[in-house]
Amino acid sequence: MASQLPEPIVEQTYYLNMGPQHPSTHGVLRLFLKLDGEYIIEADPIVGYGHRGHEKMAESHLYEQFLPNTSRMDYLSGLLFNHGYVAAVEKMTGIEVPPRAEYIRIVCAELNRISSHLLWFGTYIMDLGGFTPFLYAFDDREIILDILDRITGSRLTYSYCRFGGVAKDVDDEFIRATREFIGRLRSRWEDYHNLVTKNVIFIHRTKGVGVINRETAIRFGCTGPVLRGAGVAYDIRRAEPYSVYPELEFEIPTGAAGDAFDRYMVRFQEMEQSLRIIEQALERLPEGPIRGRAPRKVRPPKGDFYFAVESARGAVGFYIVSDGTGYPYRLKVRSPSLSNLQVLTETLSGTLVADTISILGSVDIVVPEIDR
Amino acid sequence: MADKKVAPGPIVHVAVLEDILNLFRANSLWPMTFGLACCAIEMMAAGASRFDLDRFGAGVFRGSPRQSDVMIVAGTISRKMAPTIVTLWEQMPAPKWCVAMGNCAISGGPFEYDGQYAIVPGADLIVPVDVYVPGCPPRPEGLIQGLLLLQDKITKGEKRNVLRRFQRGARSAA
Amino acid sequence: MSFDDFKEGLGALLEPSAVRPTDFGKRGYSLQVTAKRDQVEPIARVAREADLFLEAMTAVDFADAFQVIYLYNAFGAGSRVRVRVAVKKGESLPTVSTVYDAALWHEREVFDLFGIPFDNHPDLRRLLLPEDADFHPLRKDFGKVHGVRSTDEIYGEPTA
Repeated sequence: MASQLPEPIVEQTYYLNMGPQHPSTHGVLRLFLKLDGEYIIEADPIVGYGHRGHEKMAESHLYEQFLPNTSRMDYLSGLLFNHGYVAAVEKMTGIEVPPRAEYIRIVCAELNRISSHLLWFGTYIMDLGGFTPFLYAFDDREIILDILDRITGSRLTYSYCRFGGVAKDVDDEFIRATREFIGRLRSRWEDYHNLVTKNVIFIHRTKGVGVINRETAIRFGCTGPVLRGAGVAYDIRRAEPYSVYPELEFEIPTGAAGDAFDRYMVRFQEMEQSLRIIEQALERLPEGPIRGRAPRKVRPPKGDFYFAVESARGAVGFYIVSDGTGYPYRLKVRSPSLSNLQVLTETLSGTLVADTISILGSVDIVVPEIDR
Repeated sequence: MADKKVAPGPIVHVAVLEDILNLFRANSLWPMTFGLACCAIEMMAAGASRFDLDRFGAGVFRGSPRQSDVMIVAGTISRKMAPTIVTLWEQMPAPKWCVAMGNCAISGGPFEYDGQYAIVPGADLIVPVDVYVPGCPPRPEGLIQGLLLLQDKITKGEKRNVLRRFQRGARSAA
Repeated sequence: MSFDDFKEGLGALLEPSAVRPTDFGKRGYSLQVTAKRDQVEPIARVAREADLFLEAMTAVDFADAFQVIYLYNAFGAGSRVRVRVAVKKGESLPTVSTVYDAALWHEREVFDLFGIPFDNHPDLRRLLLPEDADFHPLRKDFGKVHGVRSTDEIYGEPTA
């Protein structure tokens, strides 16, 4: 007798291509997902869609000519990359930087860090489905860009740091506007927390989602808020103090569980710490020159050098091999997002497709920085 | 009479209707959410609170190429990405327009140098471009001006755009 | 401190002349290690046990050989280690991805840009360039470069 039962449902894994053009991949990242129903079995991030060959370009360009490239790698915290590269070359060549220039660099770098975190905040919540915080965050961010625009002449891709100092001195208007901005942003925290942090939907989408613990973070070499969210108080600004950071007081916020919510909170507290740094730096801003004595054409001595700074996404390092000429023999950029993204190969497996967006956003990547 | 050359064109001309349609098209441009690099951030800024692209009817960023009619190529086109951009362009329904935003999308910008291997120097080597917005990156005001230019172009019924691939003496795309 | 454990482990593994302390303020790393091909993985194991993380990995092309650079770091002040391994043109290197997952991508990147293969790597594909690319751009025989040096010219003299 023929069975009246329906045919058994055939279970099969299938593959989903997310990107390279996807509203939530922040640029051109492609996620190749192997799915079992709604669950991800395996995730394979495919990078390289923004590969522009910065490192090859360095080999045929002078040290000075490569400077604009640095801010185009990580365009959200360009000044921090600027600072890292310039400080690396200064260390190699032994160029002295006057204290006023160091303080100006710190103020601008921290402003840039806040603007990067604000943009992350806006787009992250937009990915999770809330459009309003995006407008709030961009409102505040535009003020930072105005302040930096007056001094550096650019909104995003700064080439403000120079070997031995900075390009332009700050004026009273800059200091006044920055102080005013600090007050304004502090008054906005409450709005942000009421709007997002206390939102039940947001909490459900981030708490316990995308847990990256200490052990995983070490295996993958994560740095920045991803590592600090896992409870490791590691910050290059404290571990390998550079510039004038040793003179300034600030804390390193850490999380505990290492989930998306912790990383969110770490970034929020970092913004507050950045405001503290800016306040102190403005108070102590010394008088004096803004450019030290630097040779016209930088020729670092032979050998290899490494210099790291803390960017908004983690430790960014410049490994420069010099052969004594004005051109770098090899310039390698250690990009924090590369390691932070690689973690997803492990973290994403076993999660829901819908959580991909939440996890990817919480890691905060900039694709051209990975691809270089 | 029979030997008189007739210009090719539609059999039925409804010029007034076409003008009215163009007016509508120009004032409700739907750009595709599609960023490649730094310029994408300025594109986002143009759509956000201060600059508010919606004032010009172009603020409805769509995630799917099938729903959009302007492609803003915002950033450097890498060799790896170029085929995808062509696919996205072909997925968009006509009439469609393309804005090359930033120096990278115009000519390769700072990344076009002797011996570069990674990028396609110019969006117009792979898709026809209507408006070029220079800058590295262009300010949001620049993008808005570019879109206004595009609106002018559409309302005037202009069909001119540039595809360098087919021009004599143009550099090869690959 | 975990970093001292690492130094001890290195001392047991390598001969004393291969491990040299450097001035952190001048160089950005406080220990330089010159390893041989078969010591790469043991060093990684020692580093892993001492709670170090693989910060970066890269290669440099010289006229005589490739130099593959591993940068390990601990969560402490001035505790970066630079491990340097010479790889002859056309030779491969054992993978450290069995110890550090981070090496999975770093090795893919080195393979992509330099064409150095890694033995036993589970998934050695190109990372950044298109899959059909047939060149390794960071080699000195590709594109425009300013001179090719030998290893001794840059790493030769003892560095302080």
